[in-house]
Amino acid sequence: MSELLVKNAYVIDPINRIDGEVMDIAVRDGRIVEDVGPKATVIDAEGCLTLPGGVDSHTHVCGTKVNFGRYMSPEDMRAGREARRGVKHATSGYSVPTTYANSYRYAVMGYTTLLEGAMAPLEARHTHEEFSATPLQDMMANTLFDGNWGVMNAIRDGDQDRVAEIVGWTLSAVKGFGIKLTNPGGTEAWGFGKNLTCINDEVPNFGVTPIEIIQAMIRACETLRLPHSVHLHCNNLGNPGNYACTLGTFNQIPDLNEKRQTLYATHVQFHSYGGSDWKTFCSKAEPVAYTVNNRPQIVIDMGQVMFGKTTTMTADGPMEFNLYRLHHDKWSNHDVELETGSGIIPVFYRRKNLVNSIMWAIGLELALLVKNPWQCMLTTDNPNGAPFVKYPEIIALLMSKKYRDAEFATVHPDTGSKVVLPALDRELDWNEIAVMTRAGQAKALGITGIGKGHLGLGAEADIAIYPIRVGEVDPAQEYGKVIDAFSRTKYTIKRGRPVTRDGEILVHGENTTIWVDPKMGPGHDIGHDAEFVKMFDRYYSVRMSNYPVQDEYLKRSLRMETEAVF
Amino acid sequence: MRITLSMRERKNPYIPIEAEKIVPSILMKGTDVTVYEGNKVRRLADLFEIVVEGEAASADEVEVVLRGDTSRVKRVGEYMDGGRITIEGDIGMHCGNFMSAGTIEVRGNAAGWFARELRGGTVICRGNTGHYCAAGYRGEKKGMAGGKVEVFGDAGDFAAEHLSGGEVIIHGNCGDMPGAEMRGGTLTIGGDCARPCGNMKAGTCTVLGTVTGMVPTFERTGETVGPDGRTFTAFVGDIANRGKGRLFIRDFQYLE
Repeated sequence: MSELLVKNAYVIDPINRIDGEVMDIAVRDGRIVEDVGPKATVIDAEGCLTLPGGVDSHTHVCGTKVNFGRYMSPEDMRAGREARRGVKHATSGYSVPTTYANSYRYAVMGYTTLLEGAMAPLEARHTHEEFSATPLQDMMANTLFDGNWGVMNAIRDGDQDRVAEIVGWTLSAVKGFGIKLTNPGGTEAWGFGKNLTCINDEVPNFGVTPIEIIQAMIRACETLRLPHSVHLHCNNLGNPGNYACTLGTFNQIPDLNEKRQTLYATHVQFHSYGGSDWKTFCSKAEPVAYTVNNRPQIVIDMGQVMFGKTTTMTADGPMEFNLYRLHHDKWSNHDVELETGSGIIPVFYRRKNLVNSIMWAIGLELALLVKNPWQCMLTTDNPNGAPFVKYPEIIALLMSKKYRDAEFATVHPDTGSKVVLPALDRELDWNEIAVMTRAGQAKALGITGIGKGHLGLGAEADIAIYPIRVGEVDPAQEYGKVIDAFSRTKYTIKRGRPVTRDGEILVHGENTTIWVDPKMGPGHDIGHDAEFVKMFDRYYSVRMSNYPVQDEYLKRSLRMETEAVF
Repeated sequence: MRITLSMRERKNPYIPIEAEKIVPSILMKGTDVTVYEGNKVRRLADLFEIVVEGEAASADEVEVVLRGDTSRVKRVGEYMDGGRITIEGDIGMHCGNFMSAGTIEVRGNAAGWFARELRGGTVICRGNTGHYCAAGYRGEKKGMAGGKVEVFGDAGDFAAEHLSGGEVIIHGNCGDMPGAEMRGGTLTIGGDCARPCGNMKAGTCTVLGTVTGMVPTFERTGETVGPDGRTFTAFVGDIANRGKGRLFIRDFQYLE
């Protein structure tokens, strides 16, 4: 029995409506409890800002495409080198670091739970293997269904139950957490040398449109009672004028769930572009944010772009090909049979580049224009917009108009006529930041019930203590202190055990992989469906019996069981 | 100030030594530094006999002399920013990495990655060098950006790969693919080589000897008179990379 007492913590815990109360937090066996005995280990938080452990609901840190980013960019491994020390492994890399580097850097920033945004089902084993080498965070993986042949055929046949059956079977086979749609239909079309411009184009050979895929998957998600909603990367990413496509998608999302959103739209910054070409390119964050404000069923994440070097990686193969034609740098493209694809290129976002400057502004505009912080998550779509180590700077940008103005003065001089950012006076407060970086993310993922994202009784004791006293710092003026504080916690506590202290790694932990196992009930087992088995035998390069990920791949696993209601 | 490092007898002379601390600006502050021998940390004095003569106010007044069997000593002169290093014998890999100023002279042969990603200064090798002399490194698009590299013997494959500035002179022969991915600077090869300047974007390469396996994506633009007064064939390319590099060659043979 291990006991821990965090004393004098200045707690902000939005889920339990605690906004700045100095209190003690008692922990027994990894859970938060009423009180502990006198022998408990004591950590004095000295009135420092104390939040639930950070949750990143959209990041790319593990899996085949992340690993391919590592292959492709050996020069990236020259940055971020640190020698082995104590329990800490040697690390290297900046935008696509080693798994240990990812884990340590997230832990030092106070993050304890991560969601890998895109796992190709066929390549799930690799993702789970890398999860087991990510010691300090609990991991989840959203599973890609954007070009799934079985799903698209079922949608064309109008068989909604079958869609849910395939999704449920696949999630449970590959130990996935939720549904991810990346440019639905588009990547499959790209496999045949085409792309889809928006939600009403037909996927060649399948006779379905992206909006049909999106709606069918949303209904399947609710049928299966999944904790998280559909995680959507809209069509037509990164192209001027694509905000119309984004709005078209948002406007057709039904409201099907009372407890959480029905749609989680990812990196909306990349989908809020106006203009008709790169010369007339401008921000359309306003109409997009307006739509989100009027649709409580939608939660977005920013996908903030920060200047500097990074690597973009997405299952959206055609988009990466377009980017490659723009940059003429390295490029990788990959097709996952019957399921999805991916593309990877390194990029450099420059301040002196007008398009990059506008992209930087749009992310911030979205976060400031969406009124309800529970509807907008703070992410960079790591590493697509920027590596996650930039989060503290983004927090400071959102909290300080002064910092935004100072940064705005350094970007391309024409940016002012293309964006609304300079006109936005809103400065987020500590509570809103806590929502956007942990409480809101946990709620959107549907994991508050298992004790994530809050510090209430019975919650998992994931606690981040930042070396900053809220009352003594004015974030609007002293933004440098905010950046420093969020860059390095005083303590990060994972399951009741301090894992970092002042940036130093204290333990070699073991994470929990959280996955969802929908119970389908009799008559809905697609694994014995003759047609499905035939499709598998005929087109897949693996046998159906070899497809599911064995339990040995998950060292510590937390299975969330749901009951599907057809 | 003159710092002489004489290699002591080693039980196993094949174990490499990682000696990025052998740089004038570090040694002038004291020679009590550590280096790696294989996976063991060693004091410099354990491996070398150290003699320090005179004093120096800045790195530029320091000369470091390496004696003995230094063919396994790696990364000598890495990030060097002034002064002089003289190596009386052979030197190991990565000598003069990222150097920005000063002079390195190798009287013997140098191993691979000699003067990689040089930024400035002068690096001279009196003998032969290994592969990737004056080149870039894995994945990086810009290799050597400035300074001067002169090799009096032969160089291995991929000499001056990714060259983007500065001057490289190889008096002997080069191996395969010298000047691949070149994007600036000048490369002069005194002897023969094979397949030079593939995918070059800009810069100038002159081959005074014979080129075998000439890359077919270079456009012949005429003849010119070279530095030695004899005629050269001039090329522009690499067309496959929309490049505008210039290539001057005495004799060349395309692959049959």
